[in-house]
Amino acid sequence: MAAAVLASCGGGDPPPSTGPRPGSGAALLGSLLALERAAVAAYGTCAELLSRRALGQILAIRAQERAHASRLERLITDLGGEPPPGRSAEEYARTFPRLRSAEDALHFAEDLKERQVRAYLEALAELPSAALRLEAARTCADEANHLAALRVLRGLPAAQGPFVTGAL
Amino acid sequence: MAERSDVELLEDLLARENRLVSAYERALRRDAIDVQLGEWLRDHEREHVRAIEQVLRRGGERNPRAGVPAPELNAALRSRASFTRYAIDLEGETVAGYTEAAASIRDAGLRQPLGSIMACGAAHVVALRDSLGDRQLVN
Repeated sequence: MAAAVLASCGGGDPPPSTGPRPGSGAALLGSLLALERAAVAAYGTCAELLSRRALGQILAIRAQERAHASRLERLITDLGGEPPPGRSAEEYARTFPRLRSAEDALHFAEDLKERQVRAYLEALAELPSAALRLEAARTCADEANHLAALRVLRGLPAAQGPFVTGAL
Repeated sequence: MAERSDVELLEDLLARENRLVSAYERALRRDAIDVQLGEWLRDHEREHVRAIEQVLRRGGERNPRAGVPAPELNAALRSRASFTRYAIDLEGETVAGYTEAAASIRDAGLRQPLGSIMACGAAHVVALRDSLGDRQLVN
């Protein structure tokens, strides 16, 4: 569900069209940025249905997603690119499924977060420089922390297994 | 600091994983961790050890380091709360080790799988925090 949502709400945004040299990693960072922006909007929607401990966690997650997005914007600019434009909160909201309960919200948030972890893991394999991969790895660790927190809030084990979204 | 070879990076991660296995095994023996949680964590770490050893064997090169128990572990085993805090620190250091390794390892095919183990370590931190009754799960 989340993959389809993200493809339509930001994950499929076009990469920056001018500036950085091909293979610099800027286009991939642009895709990650689109995901982060969509996630910020999504967690805002989820927050409306949550309370107490879950609300505190989702707001902390959203704040970190905003920081990730800012960091990605700076990295893209440093590579000579232009961060892709985002969408309005209303545009994002139109693409989200109807959430009726706190459980719906946490389930949706977990799906989104799993998509983000996977995207950063894929970026680790594809980014051309060790410095950019280090940025991706650090953010991926944050995303994995968020994913585990959302799972615990849903009453699930923090990780599905010893290899999150893949195997050695 | 000189750049480390892939084998050196993997040996370092293996040593960290063995330290975690040993910590959870000892905690389980000393009742310093909830059994279900301790076994879940230990079994994951064993899987990580197995996977890294497999990769190292494929390379045909091994320079195994003897695992040295951390002196703080004995003190940490005095109670469940102190062991849990110790384990959170150890898991956090291991996540940092994977973060560096996943970014710098030359074999591109290993970056994603190492990231996958790193993500599991990050989840372990959350599970341990939750077991402490910590309301704040997010870093």
